[in-house]
Amino acid sequence: MRVLILGCGRLTTTLVPDLAGNGTEITILSRDRECLESVSDIPGVEVVLTIEPTMQDYLQLAGVDTTDIFLALSDDDHRNALTAQIARHIFNVPKVICHLDNPQLQILYASLGLDVVGYSFGLLQDIRQSIEK
Amino acid sequence: MFAVIVGCSEIGYHLAKSLLATGHEVVVVEKDRERCQLLIDEVGGISLQGDGTDEVILKQAGLARADVLIAVTGRDDTNLVVCQMTKHVFNVPRTMAVIRDPKNEALFHLLGVDVVVNSIHLVLASLEEGIPGRPLVHLSSLSAPGTELISVSIPSDAGVVGMRLEDVELPPHSFISLVIKKGGASLPTDGLVLEADDELVAVTMTGDEQTLYDILTGV
Repeated sequence: MRVLILGCGRLTTTLVPDLAGNGTEITILSRDRECLESVSDIPGVEVVLTIEPTMQDYLQLAGVDTTDIFLALSDDDHRNALTAQIARHIFNVPKVICHLDNPQLQILYASLGLDVVGYSFGLLQDIRQSIEK
Repeated sequence: MFAVIVGCSEIGYHLAKSLLATGHEVVVVEKDRERCQLLIDEVGGISLQGDGTDEVILKQAGLARADVLIAVTGRDDTNLVVCQMTKHVFNVPRTMAVIRDPKNEALFHLLGVDVVVNSIHLVLASLEEGIPGRPLVHLSSLSAPGTELISVSIPSDAGVVGMRLEDVELPPHSFISLVIKKGGASLPTDGLVLEADDELVAVTMTGDEQTLYDILTGV
């Protein structure tokens, strides 16, 4: 299985050691050189450093057209929303997951059919459920 | 007409002033306080400082009654988010965006942005036109993804000079759509013979421009 991750932050560095190996190949695309260096030694992990990670040419260089899963996990909601939709609509990636911080954007993009993850997204649902109890 | 512009970049700034001058109502939303103040100082309180992807700010800007939303923040990703929010949350009838990565044009159209302006394409075309001895000009990206409209002038020493158009072997999915000779423009009919200084308008695939260019200009 091939996994392409946009963004190298705490989410990515925590997730990658668990995911890598057992036939899972991971490519991480980011503009953060230090963070990429911290995960580049993990077997099964490839890194692509670029200052323009949202440009379609760089997404293709990182293999967006052959990946099974695309995870948009950068620290920038707009960047994640754009690349998740490129992966889904232009390159037809079978599974696309988009991290968003802003609750307004979480609601918007969930309604547009993206698989949205985010701390406050769960939090909002928890609050709503607690009120209904 | 009432237009909301998100982004007081050079484009947003000049667009706002030009729309105002022609009698339209304009509100500009801009994150940067100084850029925002620049407009207020010059033309009065038409700008609002804040995040142009924040529903609350957009509501304050009066987006719900806008006829058109124009996203010119300088970032493709932010412009897309602004347009999608405008369309799906505020139901504005027309959204427009300026993009920088030409490859995003197809995606923006697919996701419902009504007018997508490819700024790099426009600037490149104007610059290429002015460079001496550089006879390839990008005219436009077409709505089919990856298709480009280009224009090539035939140099006098090119191998194709004197050839009949149908004998010139083009890359797949490339077509000559118009031949402009000194006497005027004509459709590429059978038997048309290419001459030096002919200008050919062609449809080609992104990435094939160079191949087509080499075929038409190679010695």
